[in-house]
Amino acid sequence: MSDDLSASNTLLEVNNLSVHFPVTKRRLFGSDTQMLRAVDDVSFVIHRGETVGLVGESGSGKTTVGRAMLRAIDPTSGEVLFNTAAPDAAQSQVAVHTLSGTALRQFRPRMSLVFQDPYSSLNPRMTVRDIIAEPLVASGLMKDRAQIDARVRDIAARCKLNLEHLRRFPHAFSGGQRQRICIARALVSKPEFVVCDESVSALDVSIQAEIVNLLRDLQDEMGVSFLFIAHDLSVVAQISHRVAVMYVGKFVEYAPTEKLFFSPRHPYTHALLSAIPLADPDANFAPIRLKGEIPNPLTAPSGCRFHTRCPFAKDRCSTDVPEWREVAAEHFTACHFAEEFDFSRPNGNASEIPA
Amino acid sequence: MSRLLSVENLTISFRTDEGTITPVQDVTFAVDKGRTLGLVGESGSGKSVSTKALMRLLPRTASLGADTKMHYTAKDGQVMRIETLSDRSREIRALRGGEMGMIFQEPMASFSPVYTIGNQIIEAIRLHRPMSKREARAFAIDMLDKVGISNAGARIDQYAHELSGGMRQRAMIAVALSAGPALLIADEPTTALDVTIQAQVLDLMRDLQRELGMGMIFITHDLGVIAQVADDVAVMYLGSIVERGPARDVIRAPKHPYTQGLLAALPSLDTLSKRLTPIPGEIPSPNARPSGCPFHTRCAQKIAGLCDRKIPREVVPEPGRAVRCWLYDENGRAVA
Ligand SMILES: Nc1ncnc2c1ncn2[C@@H]1O[C@H](COP(=O)(O)OP(=O)(O)OP(=O)(O)O)[C@@H](O)[C@H]1O
Ligand SMILES: Nc1ncnc2c1ncn2[C@@H]1O[C@H](COP(=O)(O)OP(=O)(O)O)[C@@H](O)[C@H]1O
Ligand code: SF4
Ligand code: SF4
Ligand SMILES: [Mg+2]
Ligand SMILES: [Mg+2]
Repeated sequence: MSDDLSASNTLLEVNNLSVHFPVTKRRLFGSDTQMLRAVDDVSFVIHRGETVGLVGESGSGKTTVGRAMLRAIDPTSGEVLFNTAAPDAAQSQVAVHTLSGTALRQFRPRMSLVFQDPYSSLNPRMTVRDIIAEPLVASGLMKDRAQIDARVRDIAARCKLNLEHLRRFPHAFSGGQRQRICIARALVSKPEFVVCDESVSALDVSIQAEIVNLLRDLQDEMGVSFLFIAHDLSVVAQISHRVAVMYVGKFVEYAPTEKLFFSPRHPYTHALLSAIPLADPDANFAPIRLKGEIPNPLTAPSGCRFHTRCPFAKDRCSTDVPEWREVAAEHFTACHFAEEFDFSRPNGNASEIPA
Repeated sequence: MSRLLSVENLTISFRTDEGTITPVQDVTFAVDKGRTLGLVGESGSGKSVSTKALMRLLPRTASLGADTKMHYTAKDGQVMRIETLSDRSREIRALRGGEMGMIFQEPMASFSPVYTIGNQIIEAIRLHRPMSKREARAFAIDMLDKVGISNAGARIDQYAHELSGGMRQRAMIAVALSAGPALLIADEPTTALDVTIQAQVLDLMRDLQRELGMGMIFITHDLGVIAQVADDVAVMYLGSIVERGPARDVIRAPKHPYTQGLLAALPSLDTLSKRLTPIPGEIPSPNARPSGCPFHTRCAQKIAGLCDRKIPREVVPEPGRAVRCWLYDENGRAVA
């Protein structure tokens, strides 16, 4: 990532994004429909060539944010603005949230998704070559077989897949190799933006390390931006330039990785970090004990959504929604008292993120 | 410290369509009262089948090696030779639950969807404790309360699917503990949980163990979890324990190249944005177990002509530690 954080370096701008799902409950007489606010008024920016980590507990809305940005689902409201640099693009800023029909289909190759589970996401009856080529064919981006073959071989080689394996079926491959196939497929159209949803979570540590290294190399070579969704905070810390934390449908904090991990401003981020078991027998493992359970998004708490469990909650927290604001350069958070909190932790020998 | 369980030369084979496979070979470990043994290894290394063998819960296609010894000292002081018991004997059924409790990775699979969790806990209690239904119910509520389920008196009448993942896992722990086991076997009990819930469950298990003085086998692939809960650790690779010893010493100064590789591959918060260091190569499939040292196909320090031919024996580099690797001589000293 370059140090230039100016607008020209912005790839994606997400403004006030919300995704609401209708949920129908059967009643004795008839039924009633409630709105589940899976994502509620989320705003953030992703730079070109940057990896943004997205963490938060199960059900907090991470996958839904990713899917809405890719238009795998339709946002209920808000904007997703995509500054494409593709030479053939008609205009440079595309309002992804307004696209439909042919325009959407033609825009799809600019962005893609790496699935969570490398075991179930590959069609067992397709060869590896056809699996990787599918996004090119489905979008109509390429029609010529020789041209498609050349692109598939190029991307497979970058993903360190054995080219002789392209004719095989996916069942013969190990978890790490399958994940490489998923990554090759996601990158074959040379997208500018890729969502990796729990893409390394199911892998053993050694294979996970390989895949993380591969994603970084591919980013350096191709300049792609990643939204890297994961619940393992240590992996996110390694791969991300910036990290966002979600809680019950809302972003609570977004900051450069080192700031987020070593001087967080939001009590939830602080609690989340205290819960990571470190592979250091002398580290004092004293997770902050949060009261109660994660709220159901159908009945999200009023005011600050964290107030039912926050050790620092005061009266106004249950009534006033805290404003999402920049409390320090590039450091965004939503807590009434963020300016007063200092959750800094000693940061070992953490190195600065290389420019 | 008194010994609760000692396992020697545990070998497990399965008959399969492609012939016999032996995913666990010559495994030796012990658990003392009041201590936690962490069993760590990549998926497929044989952690789950090893602990299923302890409860005699392996499928019929499985068989134990001739030298396998699994000796368990029951609460009444009697030594049970588990390898000699049959899968359905009265003795093994008395051991399961009452002496040895088990927590599984997927709590949903361990609860029946048609009975309330209360019904199921009460049944587990009455199987092992002489109590009336009413007494057992009071005891069950007490257990749910102990594992941190708020409003236990109402929760007890709910079904498993009505609880969140973290609550279900804690209810599962309540079931396992309500029979009063002396040894608790937990197979990846927190792998499916969020970090904050995982922290709650780990906290809880540490407290309960301290309070009840149980021995515990804690299976995980997460060395961070091991560092925080285990007193001792055994590292498994392809069905063999390659290194064991006090968790602190093994993590601080690993002796075996595989343990060293696992620790080096971990992402750490101390070194943001550093390149990670994977172990080279891939884990071989269980029906193509390498000759000699099972790790030789990936080991940077392998000694050609030796490591690929002869299985290393277990040696003792320091009192309380053991390692299986040709880099150490008979006395456990590093061969220069
Ligand atoms: N199609 C849908 N219909 C109704 N509710 C949905 C739908 N998809 C997601 N939700 C709900 O929206 C909320 C956010 O879900 P999402 O999958 O984005 O969470 P997540 O943060 O990715 O969780 P996990 O870590 O478990 O993957 C959850 O409460 C979920 O149940
Ligand atoms: N019933 C079975 N039949 C044949 N092989 C099995 C059976 N159960 C487990 N295995 C094999 O034993 C090995 C170890 O499995 P397991 O103990 O589940 O690993 P872990 O728990 O360490 O991930 C694997 O290679 C697995 O495929
Ligand atoms: S706004 Fe109040 S409840 Fe919310 S995180 Fe800040 S202190 Fe806690
Ligand atoms: S025995 Fe040889 S191959 Fe095996 S771990 Fe030791 S040095 Fe490496
Ligand atoms: Mg998700
Ligand atoms: Mg297992």
